Amino acid sequence: MHERTQAYLRGRFGDHYRNQSIDPPPGANEREWGYVPWTEGPGETYSRHNAMIDLGALEDFLARERPKHVYFSAGRYDNPGATTMNEKGWRRSGLIFDLDADHLPSTTPEDSYAEMLADCKDALFRLLDFLERDFGFEEMQIVFSGSRGYHVHVRDEGIQRLDSDARREIVDYVRGIGLEFDELVEEETVAGLGRKTPAENRYLPTEGGWGGRIHDKLVSVLSEVRDLPEEEALERLQEYDGIGEGRAQAAYNLTQERFVEIERGNLSAHAVFAQLARQFATEVVAEENAQIDEPVSTDTNRLIRLPGSLHGGSGLAVRRVPREEIDDFDPLVDAVPETFTNHEITVEVTDGGTVELGGDSFTLEEGVHTVPEYVGVFLMTRGRAEKGEE
Amino acid sequence: MKPLHARYPFLQSAREAVEAADVDLVTVVREEEAVRTRALDRVETALDSGRVGAPHRRDRVELLSYPVARVLVSLIDEHVLTRKYARAEAATAHERFEAEFTETTELKSRDREQLSIRTLLAEFGMTEGVRETDDAYSVAVGTYLAYATEERGDEWRLVNRTLRDGEIELSESELLVLIRQAIRDRVDEGLPLSVPDAIASHLDAECEQIRERLADLDLTRDIDTVVPDLFPPCMTALLDQVQKGEHLEHHSRFAIATFLTTIGMTTDEIVELFQVNPGFGEEATRYQVDHIRGKTSPTEYSPPACSTMQSYGDCVNKDDLCEQISHPLAYYEAKLDDADEEEIIDWRERDETAQS
Repeated sequence: MHERTQAYLRGRFGDHYRNQSIDPPPGANEREWGYVPWTEGPGETYSRHNAMIDLGALEDFLARERPKHVYFSAGRYDNPGATTMNEKGWRRSGLIFDLDADHLPSTTPEDSYAEMLADCKDALFRLLDFLERDFGFEEMQIVFSGSRGYHVHVRDEGIQRLDSDARREIVDYVRGIGLEFDELVEEETVAGLGRKTPAENRYLPTEGGWGGRIHDKLVSVLSEVRDLPEEEALERLQEYDGIGEGRAQAAYNLTQERFVEIERGNLSAHAVFAQLARQFATEVVAEENAQIDEPVSTDTNRLIRLPGSLHGGSGLAVRRVPREEIDDFDPLVDAVPETFTNHEITVEVTDGGTVELGGDSFTLEEGVHTVPEYVGVFLMTRGRAEKGEE
Repeated sequence: MKPLHARYPFLQSAREAVEAADVDLVTVVREEEAVRTRALDRVETALDSGRVGAPHRRDRVELLSYPVARVLVSLIDEHVLTRKYARAEAATAHERFEAEFTETTELKSRDREQLSIRTLLAEFGMTEGVRETDDAYSVAVGTYLAYATEERGDEWRLVNRTLRDGEIELSESELLVLIRQAIRDRVDEGLPLSVPDAIASHLDAECEQIRERLADLDLTRDIDTVVPDLFPPCMTALLDQVQKGEHLEHHSRFAIATFLTTIGMTTDEIVELFQVNPGFGEEATRYQVDHIRGKTSPTEYSPPACSTMQSYGDCVNKDDLCEQISHPLAYYEAKLDDADEEEIIDWRERDETAQS
């Protein structure tokens, strides 16, 4: 990055911070702060172990330093400015989830930026389903990361003091790691009439947890099967592993005659039902798990990007997204900082291509162009352009 | 001092009873042999059977033997002992209250003060996180995770639980397992205590006996001595790279971490050793090492055999002994066997001497 480009970006980041009010996270004084200044050369300098008291008021600091990236710690400490974790004296830590397009199996390097972000939003919805329905978390902040994904900050009191091992359990839960079908199943003794020994019935939980998710899928697939003409239903059922004509018939009969047992999750109703449930478990985990970046959530000392700051690798804003607005949120429009929307600038594109931003698509070849400032800033921060002469 | 305190000496009220009775621990360890003996019995039984043994017939002796046992454990200050002791105190308490809770009303002695689940929950600040339902308990996920993570077994993994709106349903006996863990934490809290000489000097004989017992324990599975000079060349090379701050591939990191774990280094020691290397984040290292150790996974990993080391290119600087063995651990064991007792200076002990 040329000196002129860097000076320009730093100046404009400063303009942005002067006009922007940023809400610091709760307990800002107890957190470690980190930032990356604009520096020449390829490497980045990471200034860590800063306490708020050393940086001064957050907005003043941002306007003065105009950093390329800004972070604060999920953890809160007795001495946030100390350089070792022992001296810091850990008190508590929020729980952070990081969804990054790079970690999603559904994305490929050929996908456009917009496609990757759309995949990420799907994963975000899956994650929120766990956090809201299963974990019942109430204090959550959802943030567009400014680059390739989303962060969720959970601040409920109940998780604040959990250690890394306990947080690993939460990670494994949303990832579906370590799920054992037989452990999900509950046994219930039925003392039937005329029975000498009581029988054990095996039930899949119908609500809550992974058991409930698997049950939902069973009910939805098997109710479709129930409503199909018999021949088609049998064919459909035989698509599953290990289901031949006989078992398909048994499953079909179950849907016709005793659908209530399916709704109850009674795996003992017929062997084929238990067999299907077991197969569905694997599918449901694959489809519904949320592929978070695991080490972020288990690390109680992690630094995370400050909401409201600018991402120095995209020029986009790290933007809070209210829960009800996620659906409509388009990061490539809504995270474009207002500071960069009012005029055009000249850039020299060194690595051309298509940029989708601000609701428009720009295809730029190498050379000098006049573009909306946010497009120029995006290209420069990504190292695909240098500042041209005005 | 009540019988309840003697049975459950870790309770806050037991501690208060001891304080209120104005007992001077120095005088106790100097003059009350019964207390010293019972304290020693607690620790030795913990090592032998994972329990703390039958209670002394006198409540006072039984109760006082608990703080003295914690002093003994502190004086020895061996991680394995502290862990086993805390676990044993918790296991014994768990057996006692589980038996109390299942006794039928007729059998319950009328004059004995009973412990209730409610009291235990309050004792450990768990009241808010546990809600009684018709025939079970609903436990807040944060409370569950604070105490269930250490439990082995798939059924304790959160992913296999019906988690709904932040709560998990537990049976009474499952809840008692969480309480057992809370007791373990309580016993472990503050260990090792810093013990004044006035107390320590009266416990030399007991400490000696525990040390001997520790040494006798069959630790065949662990080699439990860390002497880098005797490491196989492959591990020496990896350790060298770690300490130079070089980047290690995952398989190499796995190899050195499993090797160090197997020869008896604790997670803390490994984390400390790796910390000089900026490529290893503390949390990530800790997690990996705990995972290898089997703390966070059902499997305890062992270091790769020579053939695996070779295929990853981690087998370097082969020497004559390498030709005779097929596993890095076998190399190290052979070297340890050859070395004179006096020559073997455990790295960690050497470090301690250097520091003091």
